[in-house]
Amino acid sequence: MTDAAKLGTAMAGRSPRSGGRDRENRWTPYLFIAPVALYLAVFQGYPLLSEFVLSFTQTSLLAPQDARYVGLRNYRDLATSSDFASVLWITALYTLACVVCAIALGLGAALLLDRPFRGRGLARALVTVPWAAPPVAVATIFAWMLNAQYGIFNHVLKLMDFEIGYESWLDNPKLALPAILFTTVWQIFPFASVVLLAALQGVSEEVREAATMDGADRLSVFKVAVWPTIQPTVALLALFVTIWSLRRFDLIWVMTQGGPIGATKTLVIELYTRGFVTRELGEAAAVGMIGLTIALVVTFVYFWYTQRTERAQGRR
Amino acid sequence: MKTPASHAVRMALIMVLLSAALFPIYWMVVTSLTSSANLFADRPQMLPDPSQAFNYAETFAKTGVLLWLKNSAIVAVGTMVLSILLAILPAYALSRFTFRGKGLLGFVLFATQMLPEAMLVVPLYAIFAKLLLLDTLGGLILANAAFTVPVITWILKGAIDGVPLEIEEAARIDGCSRIDIVLGIVLPVVAPTLAAASVIAFFHGWNEYVFAQTLVLSQELRTASVGLASFVGELSTPIHTVMAIGVMYTLPAVAFYLMVQRYVVAGMTAGSVKG
Repeated sequence: MTDAAKLGTAMAGRSPRSGGRDRENRWTPYLFIAPVALYLAVFQGYPLLSEFVLSFTQTSLLAPQDARYVGLRNYRDLATSSDFASVLWITALYTLACVVCAIALGLGAALLLDRPFRGRGLARALVTVPWAAPPVAVATIFAWMLNAQYGIFNHVLKLMDFEIGYESWLDNPKLALPAILFTTVWQIFPFASVVLLAALQGVSEEVREAATMDGADRLSVFKVAVWPTIQPTVALLALFVTIWSLRRFDLIWVMTQGGPIGATKTLVIELYTRGFVTRELGEAAAVGMIGLTIALVVTFVYFWYTQRTERAQGRR
Repeated sequence: MKTPASHAVRMALIMVLLSAALFPIYWMVVTSLTSSANLFADRPQMLPDPSQAFNYAETFAKTGVLLWLKNSAIVAVGTMVLSILLAILPAYALSRFTFRGKGLLGFVLFATQMLPEAMLVVPLYAIFAKLLLLDTLGGLILANAAFTVPVITWILKGAIDGVPLEIEEAARIDGCSRIDIVLGIVLPVVAPTLAAASVIAFFHGWNEYVFAQTLVLSQELRTASVGLASFVGELSTPIHTVMAIGVMYTLPAVAFYLMVQRYVVAGMTAGSVKG
């Protein structure tokens, strides 16, 4: 299972309920959250703060004590670097494609598995298997399946008489990103389908039947009866898949390390490369801050969008 | 509307979907049971060859795979236990109390989802060096749980929201302390969610790669993710050995997941559609 699982968790907490009417002691809540606050402060807060500070310095991994304050130089360098522009472009492409493909495929799977049939329970369980596989193992097996000479993909393509020859998927700058995307979507679409299956339970039978009686075709039934119900879930899924795609490391790193010639270099891969390969911690930190800002902006857009939709629906 | 033909199409599509979902796992097993000669044959061997099972014995003997799996298991269980222990009280507080800073806490928990491990690894390295946590499995557990605690807090909070206040009040009148109530009354009610949350934390620890790769240096503390990744792009190890390690790393996780998936899916999606 991937980080995917985590999403659900965040989703699970969406029904606020104010409980606390007890006033036994106004410090009780703080005592309850103190251990976790302290823990997160040490292992997430402080590292994040140090990265922020680091991003204004020139620091080498080899001699971190010799950090030199350089102000906004790292950011300026990134802003004017065409390599970094391509990193942003690849990240955007990868993220958007992950969102669209994982949700589309997840929705297709959910619709297929929604109605009762013999063996539905088993099918629903088996379809989630990719999500339970460790990402490093997934990267390893896909790298082998995509192998130029001996990989099963090229064998099958050859059997089907595609004129593609023995394409070296992960070494070809044009094909590496699609190959990584394919692998990612295989791993994460089950999560989307599980969450959407749950959302489909909320679709009203009456509305669906009424639409069907009116002679609407399947697509119209979907638009009228299904989509409005699952739309908030789709939006939330889009947010989570976006955030995960922005931070996904293991799958990409193990398959291509960002190559060939940077064709699969997303923000996180760029960050790791600058930190551990070229060993410029300050630059790496600046890349991280930019990535984090993008994630924050996406999150705010999501909340702005959902609130606007909710208000629009309230007026209707 | 429901004609036999449309039913057949639907079943066919479901078969395609399941094959696509399962094939890579199957292929990993097949490759691990393929002879060296057949690995590079013109026509791939499509079925596992049981006579190649000795390949697993060789993999045990030649690589540290058993040790790696043991380390992964330690990290996974440790991450699970620590996350649950840390998440219970804040989950209860978020669900039941109103207090200043509650919104901020909620935001911080969500925001942790945006932090890439790869970004925090450098400062964590410095902190670990000071706290003598470098090159220890305990350090890995501490680093991992920082990512799972927020998620698990949210899941548990959602479950506790659904527990009626009344069952707590009776205990309160009997003079039970808040902690007694949380541990003795609320936790048993949310046990299924607790199980789901545990599985999620366990898998995070089992799968984790960046920290295990950078915060641990000793060979004998390698986890399976790092061990397996070390073979990618390396040419001296035959691919059926690599795949055998992949199988030993993946299949227990998948089998465990299939046993508990009912809980996990229920726990995970509870409330997700209320949005």
